[in-house]
Amino acid sequence: MKKPAIKKLHRLLLFYLLLWIILFEFILPANNFLPKPSVVLLSFDALWRDYKFPVNFLATISSVYIALIAAYFIAQYLSPIIFRKNHFLSEFLFSLHWFSIYIPWIIFGIFLIYWFPISPIIEFIFLLITAFFSLIIKIKEEASNVQKEFIESAVSLGAGENIISRKIIWKSIQPKILKHTILLHFNLWTLAIVFEFIKNGYGLGGIFRMALDYKDLSALFAVSVITGLFVFLGNSAIKFYRNKFCHWSLN
Amino acid sequence: MKTGNLLEIKDVSKFFHGSAGAKYQVLEKINLSIEKPTTGGIFASIISPLDSGKSTLMKIISAIEKPSAGEVLIEGNIYNKPDGTVVYIPEKPSSFPWMNVKQNIEFAIEVSKNPNKKNNTKIDEIISAVGLTGYEDHFPHEKSFGFRFRISLARALAAGAKIILIDDPFKSLHRETKNEIIQLIKNLSTIYNQAILFSTSNINEAVLISDKIFLLSHRPGRIFKEIEIDCTKRDEQSEYIASVKNEIEKLFQNHDKIPSFA
Repeated sequence: MKKPAIKKLHRLLLFYLLLWIILFEFILPANNFLPKPSVVLLSFDALWRDYKFPVNFLATISSVYIALIAAYFIAQYLSPIIFRKNHFLSEFLFSLHWFSIYIPWIIFGIFLIYWFPISPIIEFIFLLITAFFSLIIKIKEEASNVQKEFIESAVSLGAGENIISRKIIWKSIQPKILKHTILLHFNLWTLAIVFEFIKNGYGLGGIFRMALDYKDLSALFAVSVITGLFVFLGNSAIKFYRNKFCHWSLN
Repeated sequence: MKTGNLLEIKDVSKFFHGSAGAKYQVLEKINLSIEKPTTGGIFASIISPLDSGKSTLMKIISAIEKPSAGEVLIEGNIYNKPDGTVVYIPEKPSSFPWMNVKQNIEFAIEVSKNPNKKNNTKIDEIISAVGLTGYEDHFPHEKSFGFRFRISLARALAAGAKIILIDDPFKSLHRETKNEIIQLIKNLSTIYNQAILFSTSNINEAVLISDKIFLLSHRPGRIFKEIEIDCTKRDEQSEYIASVKNEIEKLFQNHDKIPSFA
């Protein structure tokens, strides 16, 4: 996003914040639509103590980011196989993609909850598999669009298959993979929260479930704001990495 | 069988399979040879109408593609595995945008299996030879087509190429840059005693810079004439050049029944 667009977005967010404070703190009576800003501020304390926010937050954030980073590096490591046509592993992994087109991926998470005892490891595995498949499908798709002149010139210089995979094809698609990672990052947060919500255990999804059970609107609102803030920070970190280390443009 | 030729193409044919299973021929029994340059390098070109299989032929010579029949010999030895001896420079810029100038050249040295490849101590010399001194840390995507072409040339030199194949290099260049690049290629082939083979659809360009011209017919491509250019009479305005150009056009008209293609 260009800088003026970001400024515009920030101004818009500030406008909504002020609107919320003015309307819901001073003008409108207490209601079930949005909480009073002062009550939300007070609920942070309750979040910390009653909802065990630090532990739950740490559980979700660690699952999301460790899964995302691990999946990225595993996919990068396996990319030479993924690039190969007619390799059994590549074909097998890609065939599983078929299921994800027609069956919403969260259903796989529900099966995991059914099969295994509640444990942070299961959530991590669920997110890792999700991220890994999403990445390899994108890698395979982008690999077929690599500018053939890069490959041909590298081949004529004497480069072997492995070097071409790692230093040409991977590098060529890396900016697009990182762009995809931004979307994937958002999807992982969503899946993690839904998984935890269904599982009714620890994690931010667990807090949402508990807050719903207690009909605690201010806690729901506060956790939503914090989640949004961290998704925004995560997005910004990925974009920073992409701009810093994948500065070239292939378009 | 060892010969005195640097490059020899013997009866090379190429077929492609279409999507409906149809087989179509792109090249038919191509035979051509380029002798070893003694001093000063050699500059040859392949002229043909558009879409006549020039690029396919170049890829076969550089062993990127395999011929359906026939063989390519470099100094009498079959060349079917690319090792940096014959370097192909495609029509579109092919310098890697994720590597800076120096890294692009280092890559060529790293991957080349050619015994004549340069070592890392020669990088500065190569950068200077292609006119990129001071730009070592610059990235190609920030620069012009001419700049990126110089990087491709530098990589070919670093790999120790004996033959550099340049696919329709001047199509995207404006006149001034084109003249600069032509002069640069000529100087480099003289200094490094290399053979340069380039493909073009532009008769004028080929006649003005080549020592030897091969005429490739329309599909299926066949070399139907070889023309030696007398370099002593070469001058853009000269009658000799005009007569060679006319001769080539007539040959194509008679052979391919195409009124004009350039």
